[in-house]
This record gives sequence, C-alpha cells and structure tokens, in this order.
Amino acid sequence: MSGMRGLSVFISDIRNCQNKEAERLRVDKELGNIRTCFKNDKGLTPYKKKKYVWKMLYIHMLGYDVDFGHMEAVSLISAPKYPEKQVGYIVTSCLLNENHDFLRLAINAVRNDIIGRNETYQCLALTLVGNIGGREFAESLAPDVQKLLLQASCKEKAALCLLRLFRKNPDVVNADGWADRMAQLLDERDLGVLTSSMSLLVSLVSNDYEGYSSCLPKCVKILERLARNQDVPQEYTYYGIPSPWLQVKTMRALQYFPTIEDPSTRRSLFEVLQRILMGTDVVKNVNKNNASHAVLFEALSLVMHLNAEKEMMSQCVALLGKFISVREPNIRYLGLENMTRMLMITDAQDIIKKHQPQIITSLKDPDISIRRRALDLLYGMCDVSNAKGIVEELLQYLSTAEFSMREELSLKAAILAEKFAPDLSWYVDVILQLIDNAEILLPYAASKVREYMDKIAIHETMVKVSAYILGEYGHLLARRPGCSARELFGILHEKLPTVSSPTIPLLLSTYAKLLMHAQPPDIELQKQIWNVFKKYESSIDVEIQQRAVEYFELTYLVEDVEDTADQSAIKLRAQQLPSNALVLADPQPVNGTPPPLKLDHESASQTQSQPNGDLSKAQSQIPSADLVGEMVDSLAIEAPPVDMGSHQRVYREEDGIPDEVDGTAIVPIGDQANKVEPIGNITERFNALCLKDSGVLYEDPYIQIGVKAEWRGHHGRLVLFLGNKVTSPLTSVQALIQPPAHLKLELSLVPDTIPPRAQVQCPLEVMNIRPSRDVAVLDFSYKFGTSMVSAKLRLPAVLNKFLQPLQLTSEEFFPQWRSLSGPPLKLQEVVRGVRPLSLPEMENLFNSFRVTICPGLDPNPNNLVASTTFYSENTRPMLCLARIETDPADRTQLRLTVASGDSTLTFELKEFIKEQLIAIPMGSRALVPAVPVPAAPLAQPPSPAVDANDPGAMLAGLL
Amino acid sequence: MPVAASAIYFLNLRGDVLINRTYRDDVGGNMVDAFRTHIMQTKELGNCPVRQIGGCSFVYMRISNVYIVIVVSSNANVACGFKFVVEAVALFKSYFGGAFDEDAIRNNFVLIYELLDEIMDFGYPQNLSPEILKLYITQEGVRSPFSSKPKDKPVPNATLQVTGAVGWRREGLSYKKNEVFLDIVESVNLLMSSKGNVLRCDVTGKVLMKCFLSGMPDLKLGLNDKIGLEKESEMKSRPAKSGKTIELDDVTFHQCVNLTRFNSEKTVSFVPPDGEFELMKYRITEGVNLPFRVLPTINELGRTRIEVNVKVKSVFGAKMFALGVVVKIPVPKQTAKTNFQVTTGRAKYNPSIDCLVWKIRKFPGQTESTLSAEIELISTMGEKKSWTRPPIQMEFQVPMFTASGLRVRFLKVWEKSGYNTVEWVRYITKAGSYEIRC
Repeated sequence: MSGMRGLSVFISDIRNCQNKEAERLRVDKELGNIRTCFKNDKGLTPYKKKKYVWKMLYIHMLGYDVDFGHMEAVSLISAPKYPEKQVGYIVTSCLLNENHDFLRLAINAVRNDIIGRNETYQCLALTLVGNIGGREFAESLAPDVQKLLLQASCKEKAALCLLRLFRKNPDVVNADGWADRMAQLLDERDLGVLTSSMSLLVSLVSNDYEGYSSCLPKCVKILERLARNQDVPQEYTYYGIPSPWLQVKTMRALQYFPTIEDPSTRRSLFEVLQRILMGTDVVKNVNKNNASHAVLFEALSLVMHLNAEKEMMSQCVALLGKFISVREPNIRYLGLENMTRMLMITDAQDIIKKHQPQIITSLKDPDISIRRRALDLLYGMCDVSNAKGIVEELLQYLSTAEFSMREELSLKAAILAEKFAPDLSWYVDVILQLIDNAEILLPYAASKVREYMDKIAIHETMVKVSAYILGEYGHLLARRPGCSARELFGILHEKLPTVSSPTIPLLLSTYAKLLMHAQPPDIELQKQIWNVFKKYESSIDVEIQQRAVEYFELTYLVEDVEDTADQSAIKLRAQQLPSNALVLADPQPVNGTPPPLKLDHESASQTQSQPNGDLSKAQSQIPSADLVGEMVDSLAIEAPPVDMGSHQRVYREEDGIPDEVDGTAIVPIGDQANKVEPIGNITERFNALCLKDSGVLYEDPYIQIGVKAEWRGHHGRLVLFLGNKVTSPLTSVQALIQPPAHLKLELSLVPDTIPPRAQVQCPLEVMNIRPSRDVAVLDFSYKFGTSMVSAKLRLPAVLNKFLQPLQLTSEEFFPQWRSLSGPPLKLQEVVRGVRPLSLPEMENLFNSFRVTICPGLDPNPNNLVASTTFYSENTRPMLCLARIETDPADRTQLRLTVASGDSTLTFELKEFIKEQLIAIPMGSRALVPAVPVPAAPLAQPPSPAVDANDPGAMLAGLL
Repeated sequence: MPVAASAIYFLNLRGDVLINRTYRDDVGGNMVDAFRTHIMQTKELGNCPVRQIGGCSFVYMRISNVYIVIVVSSNANVACGFKFVVEAVALFKSYFGGAFDEDAIRNNFVLIYELLDEIMDFGYPQNLSPEILKLYITQEGVRSPFSSKPKDKPVPNATLQVTGAVGWRREGLSYKKNEVFLDIVESVNLLMSSKGNVLRCDVTGKVLMKCFLSGMPDLKLGLNDKIGLEKESEMKSRPAKSGKTIELDDVTFHQCVNLTRFNSEKTVSFVPPDGEFELMKYRITEGVNLPFRVLPTINELGRTRIEVNVKVKSVFGAKMFALGVVVKIPVPKQTAKTNFQVTTGRAKYNPSIDCLVWKIRKFPGQTESTLSAEIELISTMGEKKSWTRPPIQMEFQVPMFTASGLRVRFLKVWEKSGYNTVEWVRYITKAGSYEIRC
C-alpha cells in the first residue's frame, strides 16, 4: 500500500476536514473523480485501478454509499500480481455480499486461485469464500476446498471455509465419504488446525451424527491431551488453561453423540471431566474466571448428557451450590440455570434440595433474571416433602413481586399446591390466598364452589370455605343460571341447620354480603335474610347474636343510603370491591363514625345549593316533577340529624318515587335524543377515587369505566376496566392520555372495539417524578352505532397516591418538626371556609388520603398532628409533617402548618390539604345528592307500569 | 412581552460551544449536549429550525459556519427569538466590521459577552440598535482616572437617548458634505415548469439607506407605487399621470417612519438614523419583469448517456448587463464524463453538488447564449432508480434594473439650516431562488 500518494493525500484530506459537511463534499468530489477515471478505461493502469479501489473501500468504510466500481474490484481478483489481487479480494469481500450477481463473475477466478499452486493466493481465495461464499460457491467449490483441507498447508482456512459452505448448503459434505477424512483430520497435532476442524465437526454432527462415530474416541483423546496439559504450546494456553476454546468445542461435539458405549472411552472421558470439575474454582481474575467457567459449564452439560453416576452428579451439584452463593450475578445466574437443567435428571433432586434456602434468598435478588431463574428452579425442585415451605415462600414473595412476574408466580404456586398438597386444608388456604391476589380466578373459584354445594353431604370445612367464597365473589356469577343471590342464599341456608355453632356467624356474614352485592336489590331476599337475622338476634351465642344484630342494622341503614344515593355507586362497590372486610361495602360504619345517614344530610345541607337550584328550575319547567322536587328538598334540607329511627322509615317509603322517576328518565336519553349523558357526576366520582384505590371513573348508558390502582412508592399501576354494557359492540374506542409534566404515564394498547357485554382491561403504568397537584387527563372516546361519544376524564393519580402512611412517635416527630423551620420548607396558613368537621371526622379524612394522624403528640386536644412519606423519582422518600389547629368555637376555620424537606413538596401538599378541606366533600357522601340532579329536569310523568318496589330495575335493564 | 430565550449558544459546525450566555435558570447547562446529539449529529439538521427535546425547545439557525441556538423551556415567542438572532448578528457584524464567523467570535469574546449582557435581559430582548449601543459599548480599554484628560465630548445620556422622541438619532450631528445614499435591492424568486409556465413568482425588495446628514433632517420619499400616486393626484386634484404604477404588498417600515402620516397622506416621511439602515421592505407578486428566460432540453439516451441543451436569454434592456451569472444544471449522481460546448462563459462539472456549473461573468441585455453538454454515466450496482430531475438553478445580479419596475420619484430633505444635500440612488436585482424545472 505504500507509495500510493493519491490515496494517502485523500485520507489526510478527509482527516483534516473540520466537520461532516466538508467531509461529504470531499468524498463526493473524489467519487466523481473515480467515476471519471473508471469510465475512460483506456488509460487505466493496474496501479491506478488499485489506488481507486482502495479509495472506494475507504469511502465505504466511512459510511458512504458506493454503488459502482464493483466490476473493477472483481476484475482485480484475476490480476497477476499479488498487490492487485489482494485489493481485489479484500474490496470484493467488503463491498459485496453473497446475494450480489457480480459474485458469479468472480467464481471462476477464485476457483483458479484455489486449485492453483500458489499458497498465498489460495489463502486469499479461501478467506473470500469463507466470508461471503453463497450457495453457488458451495456447489462449485466444495470439492476443491475439501481437497485442500487434506493436502495443503492452509488447512485452518480451508476448514473454516468448508464450514461456511456446509452451512450454506449441507449437501456438499456427505458423511460416507467424509467421516474417515474427518477422523484423520482430528489426528492433527497442531492445535490451530484442530480448533478449526473441531468447529467443522460440531457443525457436521449437529446436522447428523451418524457416520461420524469414528471421531468420538479421537475427541476424547483430544480432551485428554488438553486436560492433562501435555505438550500444549504456550501460545494456546489462556490464563493457564490449555486452549479453552478447543475444550469447549470438543465437549459440545461430544454432546451431539448419544451416550458412549465403549467402557474404556467412557472411563477416560469421565476421568477428564472429573479433573475439570475438581480443578475449577472462582478466582479474582475475570478473564480466567470466564474461560474456566465456560469450560466448566460445558463439562457440566456433558455430564448431564452422559447421565453419569450419582457421585459425579452430587459433585456437580455441590459445585453449583457454591456458585449460587457467590456475589457475582453472572455466576449465580449460570449456577441457577444449570441447577434447573440438572433437575431433569431425577436422582439429582435430593442433592439440590440441600440448597433450598440459598435458592430462596436468590428469589429476593435485585436482578430480575436471577429471580426468574430462582423461581423456575424452585418450581422444578418442588415435591411433596418441601412443597409447603416453597409454596409459602412463593406466596410471601407474591405480595412484593412486581406486576410482570405475578401471573407466572401465582400460576406456579397454584400448580405446586395442587400437585403436592400434603393435606386439603393447606391446599384450600393456599388457593384462598391466591384467589385474593388474582382477580381473574375469582369467578372460576366461585363457580366451582357453587358446584360442590350441590352435593348432598359435604364437610363442614367445605361449607365454611364455600360460604366465604360465595359471599365475597358470588356476585360475579350473578348472570349465570342458578347463581342469583337468592339461589345462593337458598343453597347456603339449607346447610345452616347441619353446621356447628362456630360456622353460623360465618354464614351470617355471607348473607350480609349477598345482600350487599345483590344487584338489583332483591326485596324478597332482603326479607328472608332479615328474618334470619331477626331469628338469631336472640341467639344464646354472643358471637352469633352480635353479628345478627349488627348486620341487620347495617343492611337496614345501607338500604336507606342506597335508595337515595347514586345506584351505580353501590353497584360499583359490588362489582369492583371484593372487600376483605367481612362486614359490608360501605366504609363509614366500619370506621366507627356516626351512621351514614346523618352525615349524608349534613353534607347535603352544606352543599344543598346545587341540587336545589337545579330542582327549582326543573319545577318551573315541568310541573309534574313537583313531587320529586319537594321530596328531595325535604331530604336535603330538613333532615334532622338527631332522630334516626322513625324518620328513616318514612323516607324509605317515599323513596320509591324518585327512583322510579330516575329509572324512566334515563331510558329516553339513550334512545331518543341520541345524546349520551354520563350517569352520576364525573367530578364527584373523581374526588371519591382520589381517596380510594378502586371504583367507577365514568359511566354512561353504554360504557362503564372502572379503575383499580395499586401504588408502591413512586410507582403505580392503574388498571382501566372498560366495560361494554350493551349487546352491540362499541367501536373506534380511543384512549389518549395527556400527562402533566410531573408524571410519567404508559398506557398499554387500548383495543379498537369492545365486544358486547365484555370488559377490557388496560393497564397503565404511572411514575411520579416530582410533587405537583396537576392531574393527568384521559381523553376517551368511542362510537356507539353512529353516534360518537367522547369524554375528558381526570385520572385519579393525584398527589396523595404517592404518599405512604407513616406513624411517628413524639421522639421522632419533634426533632424533625423543629429542624424544618420557616418558609419555604415549613408553611403556615389560616384556612377559612372549611367544611365543619368534628375531630374524628377530620382524622378520618386525613387518614383516607394517607396522611396518618399521630394521636397524642399535641397537648392541645383540638389540634391534630400528622405525618406521611412522599415518594417521587427525583427525590428520596420525603418525610412530610403537618399540624392542624382547630378552633372549637368556629369549626369553619383552622390553621394549617405543613413541613417537609422540599419546598415545592411543602407548598403542593399544603395546597392539596387545603383543597381537600375546603372544596371536596368525601366521596361516599358526595354521591348522595347526585342522582336527582340529572334525572329531575328530564323527568317525564312517572309511568304507572314501573314496579315501584324495584327502583333499580330500569337501570339494571340498561346493563 | 414574551420570553425569547432562556439561553443562547454559539456553536461551530463540529458542535463545540464557542460562547454562550444563560439568561434564565430554567434550562440546564447541558442542554446544548442534547442539541448536539439529537439534532446536529442526525440528518434532520436543517430540516426544521425549531425542535423540541425533553421539554426544551431549540430554536436555531446557521450563519456562515456558526450555529446560533436559542434554548427555551417555556412557551416562548419563536418569531421573536429568530428576530432577535437576526438583529444580534447584524449588530455583531457592525461591530466586527463585516464578517460574522467562527474566527470573528473567537477574536471578540469579551465584546460579545458585553453585548450579550446588554441586548437581552432575563430572556427579554432589549435595545439592539448598533447606533445607540456603540455609544456606550466600545472596544476601547478602560482609561485610568488619573492619566486621563477631561473628555471633549459631552457624556452621552443613555436614558434620554432611548426614551426621547427621536430615539434613533443623536442630536448635534454635523457633516461637511451632506449626502444620502439610497439603494433598492430586489431579489426575484421564480419556479417555472418545464413547459415554460410560471408556477410561482414574486419579488422581495428592500430600500436601504445610508445617511450622512447634519442636524435633525426630515426626509420624504416618493415612489411610483400605486397608492401613493393615487393619493397624490387626488390631493392635487389632477388626473394621475399615465405610466406604470406598482402595487406593493406587505410593506414594513423602519421605526423612524412616521406611520400616521403614511396612513393619511401615503407618503414615506421620516427622520433618519445616522448611518446605514433598512428603510422599508416590500413584496410584489403581480407584474414581475423576469430578467432571464431559460430554455432547457435534457434527453436521456439509453442508460448511460444524457444530452443537455440549455439556452439562456436576457430580456432586460440592451444597455444593461447582468453580472455573476451562474447556471447550475443538475445531473445524475453516477455522472462519470462530461463534454461541454458553450457560446460564452465557462462550464464544468462539480461532483460534490452533482451539477454542471456554467458561469458567465458579464451577460449583456437582449442577448442569448447556449450550453450543450454530453454526459456519460457509469453503471451501478444499486437498483436503477429513475433520476428525479431536480430544477435548474440560476444566480445573477442586474444593476440598475428592478424586476418590479419600482422607481424613486423624489427624495426630499428638509432641515432648519436649509443646507444642500446630494442624493444617490441605485437599483439592483438579484436572484433569490430562481428555479426552472427540466
């Protein structure tokens, strides 16, 4: 290459270019020059040709398109002198690939070089073929290359070249003729030739091992030679390991043969393997580790392949056990993976079991691939003896595992539990835990249990289990025949006389749940159940008595709420909330606050202006709606919070009327006006969802969008449930999210169509980057028939979702409180116009948005002190502290102090709390006045045909 | 007023930062790396002058071998940003004495920092007028208070200057010879189809002035534009003179022009700033006189030969002549050999732009000249894509010719002292994007 001045000038020009553009101009100029020179080929000397082809290669290497001049490059191959030939070969193999037509022109020239006498030319030709040889090359050149492999001195290149040709066209080498020669090649002493021949052999036997059995002893011999470290030249040892590449390849080749029959060969092979297994250890040097482990793992798989004796297996497992306790994640991964493979050989299982604790720790590794391997291994090694431990471990892990692994994990746990259950009760426990975790299984579990209940005599435990499952999830079956709430109740109630007294409370709970979940509310069922409760009100067993009384009262109260409240809110709870609390869906009584009715009216009278205003409008428009107006007015304003008993009953009797109007009112909206009105108030639904994790985000006559969310630290996962409520598909469904700057949102694909009466789940990953009160907006639209419906919905991924409740003691609280002094880290504000709340109510409010009240920290009983932790990507978990000083004389004002380590966070949190205290009523209460508002203005004169006893019937008819 | 920039960067073509200034701290210091990796090193450079990466907007333009990048994170006024850059470059040019490139920046770091401090404040553009800034920001070093003798010149009062009634002109100027130079510079944009139909044609023109006048003169400019003439004839209540009148679109004036008088009387009257400035800009779409006609014929003979014949005709007055005429005729990328015959000028093949470049230094009016070329192509490996035939481009300058036909009818100067002035008027027409499809 020396002495080509034009080339070196060009290269230095390119290197001196200041920027890419100058380089491009220079390259284009040179290409023009080359084109001109190639075109007038009269005066093109071989020297010039060579120079320009080198330039072309350089330009190609710089990344520019060179689409001419291949002819010149190929023609150089047949040049007589070495320098030109070399350029020809190099440039051809760089610029062309096997699919180029130009290569056909080269075949003949290449063949001439291969069969020629000149060794250097042979090498060049073999390299070219080895790099870009295609099918045509294989057909015309294979015999010549085979000949070279046996005779010439460039055997390594020939072997690799043949390997390439074989891969392109396996027919070129046939076993009968070639096996002997292959064996002959393996007698070679030179390790370089041996390595390349071994690559060829691996490829050959992977295709078809028969016929090559003569090579087997030779391979073992090679291994022996390497492992004993005899006469291996210095240049073929790598960190003291004799040619690890050849070792690996040889062992790989051996794995393609079936097990070795010849005892002496087998013995010597095992000797070698033993030596490898013994001699490998984890050392400091990474390169040495890599090389020795490559050999070792290949040896392990060979041992597995050969089905070695138990002793050797246990040695292997011991080795692997050592590996999985190493810090290095790569080694640990390999150890776990190989152990899993080891499991396929049955007698290794016991040995592996010794390492169970170690494997279980790997399940908690930060690296997910290691966790997956560990899970696979645990699954594989499980049997009757250790099933209990493993499954418990898996279940424990399930609660902390990430979403992506959960499905696999629960499936595996379920399979193991079923396969190896030592006793049934344990199995049931496991499955119940799993069911709690996995939503998809719920209907299945319920239906199975339902089937079992049909049998005449069943064990009492089964009754308990069934009662629990049917109570919790029975409503999921409501549409199936024989599974309505009433029927379920019938079936369960049959069992009541047969069971012992500890089971009866369980059954009572189930009845309460059935009643809660019944959709539409079933008056008949209610009467029956109340009868049962009444019967047990005087039971001698305190437990039963208490439950009966409480359930009666609760269902009774809920009925009131339900009748006046938004129907869909209850339905939402019934559908979306498999409440773990045994009692009932409405959270108020559980929290120990005063009964809901009182609150309802109280809040209604505070926020009365809205429904009232609308209603009076409705009155002026439609005189026939007067009754409704008066009725609701009385509900909203007059309701005295003191006396509950008598009043409630009166209301309930009246309540049939507005609900009936309600029902008739909604039907015509969908049918006539062709305009889709959302059911319920979207804002209030959103506000409710800000305080809880699941519920309905949006509903109209065609679709219901539910949300279920899980929050962990600054991560969250929302699942949107898009439920089609009608019998025709909803098309052109689109959901776009407009994320605010502080959230990272990833919505999975939303299907274009929702089939009739189907529910589609769309997971949505949320990540919080920094504190902000902005809200993400979901732009949702779909088409029903010809009408397009769209809605903009705020997603309940708000500030408080990234809070984690935290209870502090006074020793922890006060130093923090004092260290955060003054703005901007600590902000104080007097908030006026607050919705009056008693202290316990306010405590509840705070707890519900995950700011934990720490009781007893403040000496003044009118003050509240609260703490929480805020998670975001940008900051470490931030401790937030708050103090609320209330004035017992005037509940509408209070002083709010918020402190945290971050000024933005402090501000945002303060504003957030303020908003909550002033504007947003608590979710369940807000729903109370919601329904009559959209219903009343549209009300038609009530039709007498509608069953006044079944207020939700019309609504249910829509579903 | 909108924010124009949070930070400004000057980069060379390699992407190194030459100089930068951050005006607001809402953008990080490493934002320019994002520009380098996401814009400069991709092929999209030059496609779109505004790009958004990770909440930051990059507004950039290239001036000679320098990229000027404005980074903003808020919803900024992009047009304002671009205008700011253009004005700032004009300011730098007037300080450096002509060129604005990488070397000029490297030689004037201190001055540029000083100017950058002055012309923008917290992202809001400030006074960019060179005349005023030159009064206060000078390249002279700091003078020691002890050695200096009291200055002759009165200390300039910046506040008065900027807030006064005539903010753009200093009081008390005096010249021995009172001169006014007026240039009308027009550039013609044309896109013509291969059949000779005009697809798009317009002229953008500028009236540039250079004033060396004493005192506070009042100037009045009369052009042969339609509105002005009509108004004039109406006021003087006599019929409009026959002759060509020009309809100007989109006229923009320098701030010195009295707009109320323009609205009422349709005359351009103003108190000019001292030195050079752009008085007005306009655009014309109707009745454009094209200075050149191009008649190309390009035949592809088989796969490897192309015959090119281009005839260029000058259609302006026979006494005038065009200077620096360049005709760029695109040829395919595989061009290997070219053979030319030209009647005037010189032609050669330039492979880096894939064009035949035909240069004619002086082209008299009412003449024509032709180029015929034979081109041989080299055969390629790539699949045969048909050649897209880009349009022929042309560059030229025709002095004393206006494509719009615009003429200066009068330029009057009034001053209290009533001195005599000398007025010089020049016209020149340049090619903008003058393209003919073939």
